[in-house]
Amino acid sequence: MKLLITVIIYALFIAYLLGAVLYFIGNKSGKKQALSTASLMVKIGLVLNIAALIVRTMIAGRLPLANSGEFTLWFTVVTVALYLYYEAKAKMREAGGAVMLISALLVGSIIVLMKGQLGEATPLMPALKSPWLTIHVLTAAVAYACFALAAGLAIMQLAKAETKITDEIIHRIVAGGFVMLSLTIVFGAVWAEQAWGSYWSWDPKETWALITWIIYALYLHLHRRLGWKGKTASKMVIAGFVLVLFTFFGVNYLLSGLHSYA
Amino acid sequence: MEILKKVYRYLSSMKTGLVLLVLVGSAAAVGSAFLPDVFFNTWLFKLLLIILSVNMVLCTANRFILLKSRLKKNRNKWFREIGNLLLHAGIVFILAGLLVYAFYGQNGQIAIRTGDTVDVSQIIALKEPFSLRLDDFKVEYNEDGSPSQYNSYVTVLESGITKDDAVISVNHPLNYRGVKFYQQSYGYLIKTKYTNDTGSEVEELIKEGNFIKPEGTERTVKVFRYIPNFDPNHGMVTKTMRPDNPRIIFSVYEDKQLIGVGAAQFDERVEIDENVYVVFPAVEPYTILKVKSDPGLPLAFWGGGMFMIGVTMALLAAPSQGKKTESIDSNREMR
Repeated sequence: MKLLITVIIYALFIAYLLGAVLYFIGNKSGKKQALSTASLMVKIGLVLNIAALIVRTMIAGRLPLANSGEFTLWFTVVTVALYLYYEAKAKMREAGGAVMLISALLVGSIIVLMKGQLGEATPLMPALKSPWLTIHVLTAAVAYACFALAAGLAIMQLAKAETKITDEIIHRIVAGGFVMLSLTIVFGAVWAEQAWGSYWSWDPKETWALITWIIYALYLHLHRRLGWKGKTASKMVIAGFVLVLFTFFGVNYLLSGLHSYA
Repeated sequence: MEILKKVYRYLSSMKTGLVLLVLVGSAAAVGSAFLPDVFFNTWLFKLLLIILSVNMVLCTANRFILLKSRLKKNRNKWFREIGNLLLHAGIVFILAGLLVYAFYGQNGQIAIRTGDTVDVSQIIALKEPFSLRLDDFKVEYNEDGSPSQYNSYVTVLESGITKDDAVISVNHPLNYRGVKFYQQSYGYLIKTKYTNDTGSEVEELIKEGNFIKPEGTERTVKVFRYIPNFDPNHGMVTKTMRPDNPRIIFSVYEDKQLIGVGAAQFDERVEIDENVYVVFPAVEPYTILKVKSDPGLPLAFWGGGMFMIGVTMALLAAPSQGKKTESIDSNREMR
């Protein structure tokens, strides 16, 4: 089992990375063949990602919602699923390279930073034994995934002179992510009130989630009410995702607090 | 009057709100990186939050007053508008809840040994005092020896009469008349048998890290720590939390000089000096509970609910058509 999950994670990394490279090549050269192979790689990757979650569930003997390796698998599986939905609906493959590169790097971070987290059976600590764990972690994964997809689109929009990626589609994805992040924070607060006896304690994870929430709140106000569009707006979406990554990695590895689980 | 109007307009504008959000965000970032323990309690930061609340109250109120006329213009937008209103009002409620806690909230910590009763009104002010008795404390373990749950079995007493009993565990606090008790931590007192300096043999409960002075020797003994699962390879840290190999770590001093360290089993007779013995027959657990009363909690709770419903209504509803006219519109309203 331990070997199996290691193999799946490496294969997953390769599938996402190959997908990213093929998207970049295909978009640059305009070769349809490369683009459809890229899409296929991503679909294979998605199956591997789901398989990784299933195998991890079997190893851990519980739903994989606790440590950062487990969360990363949810983060990428939702990002890629959302991307594929977007690709099918918008009939556009422009953003594939950026989104898949983000996903590949996230899986890469499991290999580099979270070694051994997925191979061992680790029971939940008492604080995590709550129905809120599932809700809080899954809403966070969806929120982060929306922000990853939005950032991927924004990067491509900035990088290209001519693009079909509109501010409106980026805005809608960010809005979805913002709703999910808001729910994550409130559910987390309700849970913290039960588990730690305080719904808000300025724990680093809470603080940085709030900072992330603030930057997207600014974006939404500026976009909806002041009509900010184009490059400035896209830069904010990318900055927001940098904050998402800091809230996830930076807080885990640089600042310690109540959320230190792995 | 003109100045007052200006100040009001400035304080209630959305632009000011956005600037305040940037300030709160930047301050929080700097605070969490450099002064995580004190920054969020400083007046500077609290003041920022209060000004933000005032701005949001005014800004939301203005929106509410204009709501009717705006809905007349575009009937399809009501869902989003109500959402917007709920979401901002929800945040104001949450901030108000925090404010109430800052002024009227109380919290403290109690440590209770099995069988002991603690008067809760000694910890926080209560209108009708009651006490809490710890009947038992049990730790449950997973197969690998890690703790799976901590349980404090308690009884609530009012002037000696039993009113309630409950099991407090992590994620399952007890709420008694608005006072909440949370399982926060636990510890052990070490039962120690020795002959004290008055010559009588005693059995005392010693706190980890405290000294005893047995009779018949100049040496003192530090009852250093209880280790539930001792393994020399792990040193002074327990291998797992489950008591698979319990030991008491003690050290012996002479003239303030450390002369020896040992790991005693329960009931083992430890020779401290010639014919001077110390025995550690057992450990006795105590529980540590967080006690809290927060009259602002219902406000924050309802605020959280309004906020969640509002944000979902405002943002997930289909975007309205005719973006351009709307943005010109709102520019005017916002000043």
